[in-house]
Amino acid sequence: MRTASSTAIALFTAFVVATPAAAQVTAERILHASGEPQNWLTYNGGYDSKRFSSLSQITPANIRDLELKWIVQDQVFGAWESNPLVVDGVMYLTERPNDVMAVDARTGRLFWIYHYTPAGDSHVCCGANNRGVAMLGDTLYMGTLDAHLVAIDAKTGHSIWNTEVADHKAGYSVTMAPLVIKDKVIVGTGGGEFGIRGFVAAYDSKTGKQVWRFNTIPGPGEPGHETWHGDDWKTGGASAWVTGSYDPQLNLLYWGVGNPGPDWNPDQRPGDNLYSDSVVALDPDTGKLKWHFQFTPNDPYDYDSVQIPVLADIDWQGKPVKAVLWANRNGYFYVLDRTNGKFLLGAPFVKVNWSKGLDQKGHPIMTPQPAGMPTWPGVQGGTNWYPPSYSPRTGLFYFSVWENYGSIFRREESQYVAGRTFPGGGQSVFAPVPSSPTIGVGRKGPVNNWTSDVGSGATIAIDPHTGKRVWTFPQYDVTDAGMLTTASDLLFTGGREGYFYALDAKTGKELWKTNLGGSIVMAPVTYQVGGKQYVSVISGHTLVTFGLRN
Amino acid sequence: MRSAGVIAGAVFLVVGAISGLAESAFAQGSSQQYGTANIQAGYRLYASQCALCHGGNGDGVAGINLARQQFRRVSTDADIRRTVTGGIAAAGMPPFQFRPAELDAIIAYIRSGFDLEGASFALGDGARGKAIFDGKGGCTVCHRVHGNGSRNAPDLSDIGALRKPSAIQRSILQPAAAMQPINRPVRVVTHDGRVIQGRRLNEDTETVQLITRDGMLVSLSKNDIQDFELGKTSGMPSFAGKLSTAEVADLLAYLLSLKG
Repeated sequence: MRTASSTAIALFTAFVVATPAAAQVTAERILHASGEPQNWLTYNGGYDSKRFSSLSQITPANIRDLELKWIVQDQVFGAWESNPLVVDGVMYLTERPNDVMAVDARTGRLFWIYHYTPAGDSHVCCGANNRGVAMLGDTLYMGTLDAHLVAIDAKTGHSIWNTEVADHKAGYSVTMAPLVIKDKVIVGTGGGEFGIRGFVAAYDSKTGKQVWRFNTIPGPGEPGHETWHGDDWKTGGASAWVTGSYDPQLNLLYWGVGNPGPDWNPDQRPGDNLYSDSVVALDPDTGKLKWHFQFTPNDPYDYDSVQIPVLADIDWQGKPVKAVLWANRNGYFYVLDRTNGKFLLGAPFVKVNWSKGLDQKGHPIMTPQPAGMPTWPGVQGGTNWYPPSYSPRTGLFYFSVWENYGSIFRREESQYVAGRTFPGGGQSVFAPVPSSPTIGVGRKGPVNNWTSDVGSGATIAIDPHTGKRVWTFPQYDVTDAGMLTTASDLLFTGGREGYFYALDAKTGKELWKTNLGGSIVMAPVTYQVGGKQYVSVISGHTLVTFGLRN
Repeated sequence: MRSAGVIAGAVFLVVGAISGLAESAFAQGSSQQYGTANIQAGYRLYASQCALCHGGNGDGVAGINLARQQFRRVSTDADIRRTVTGGIAAAGMPPFQFRPAELDAIIAYIRSGFDLEGASFALGDGARGKAIFDGKGGCTVCHRVHGNGSRNAPDLSDIGALRKPSAIQRSILQPAAAMQPINRPVRVVTHDGRVIQGRRLNEDTETVQLITRDGMLVSLSKNDIQDFELGKTSGMPSFAGKLSTAEVADLLAYLLSLKG
């Protein structure tokens, strides 16, 4: 009898627990995502993109009790850069090229898989990547390699609508996870290596109709157009391939903009080339520009400013300031006032020689290197698109850096042909020995024959008030891993070598590690189901989920 | 007018380089020389005339990888010259009307492995090169090919597929400057007092893997290491002055033939 009744209670409890799972992801819920840390509702865990979770069941004291709970194997080869969402016990995860999976977040078993086949003549510079979905109501939204936006029923895994964002034949693609604000789905386009004219656009979440479009290169008559000559603006790149952030109080959307095109030949596009390599602040209802800040004018180094804008309210010289924290691919860390874009601080976080410093307004003082001489940081930058984290508990900003890594850039005249790469030259990574292996976009194999002589990685913590490093956790190979911090002052991250680390967020001390054997090229996420905290991370072709030993 | 002047200048350079090379080739018997200027001139011709079908990396036609010297119908320089000039109607390759110096430049670019930054090199006779490798050169004292020789230095059984001609030539003539960073000798002292010496095979944040002088594969956790010393110089002697120019060309031809 006792057994039977406890079973009945257990079933009843399970039912009660499961009921809220039916609740829809309203715009209101996303606004207050930090209030439901059991879920991971947007690409960066919340509109402020701190990637900080208030979950604290896993702590420095019990971290050694972490154990493998489950694995999902990717069915497709290639770097797996997807960032999962977790909503009421279900994980939504994409894999190459444009599949979506709904996974039981407790067991790793699939509810459904959605396949989308992008057009065979899709163009992407750097792999058939997809970084994840957005969710509103019962609908998931995914950008595709052939530059469409699709809406998918989150319960059935079947499509609801499919909208063309741009012409993939002209080199446009969408690899980023969309961002939902109110009733709109917002995406930006990739294609900065193909002579596109980039943009960020908003779509009606119900119908897929475009509501507004912000061109990242101003057209004739628009402010900023004077930073381009002739017809250069038509093929000037300025893609927008990483998800932005949103401040509901200011009602401002922040988005990073990519490199100008052709990539390496600034002589072919004289001028500052706005809004390439900038952050733009937009009205999310209309797409109108409120302010912009350009990090690298007339960029010859491919220093996309596609980092995630991290919104933090911090004390600034005795006064509270609404800041945006930004570690840029160009090697400088910036603090801006996000109400108006005013430059507050800029400091190099790695070796920089393309510029000898920033002026009072944050503009770089350019010091181009002679032809054939290396430029630091190299083409992949001091950091890149890898999601950073800011912990309001420690007040520190965390991200992956590439150290002692330089490139030799070469300028050439490129002719624009629709759909073809528009490079304007080339680059090679500076190597200590001629023709020895160098670091590429992804890890080239299990043996590190390029060695730290060509560059190495690190996870670093910066104090936003000074721009100085508080601690450095060095890695031998470079790292594309993102960051996750928690309220128990843990920092989870990884790297190309396949180690998954838990560090002390205050000191950078390694508290726990495990070798997952495949590159970690995304950020971990954390969530809670059935009262238990989990941490998931993608390594190579597996998504691995850890939890505390029962 | 300006364009015409530039072209004329380029042709003059090519011809100048060729005539210079022809003399030295004559002096070395059967060696075939490929000069840097010629390789670079070949790149320009290749990019404008060949890359459309063969691709920027030389692998645009199925079964052929020009940069890696993988061909379907040709093996010698004369074969390439004949194919380019005559075309292959069945495969859709048209005949090209290049001047002899231009043909030489394209061949130099292909033979260099598309190595724009590489030094000039010469290729001799592979069979004579093997004899030098196994005999006079003493290469097998440290290196190994297809199961023969020592494991002290890198196994060269597939070196011709991995490295470009100028890089291999540099290794023969200036081994210290050409040593790949991963191959550096390592001397480790562990916390428990063991001294381990060998050649580095792999390294990451937490561990290092090496092969010892007696052929043991060893993997060490950096937590267990007290001293970690990476040798800066190669143990390999330079063969500059020890082998004649023709012998180096023979040895290079042999090494390039090793493709696993």
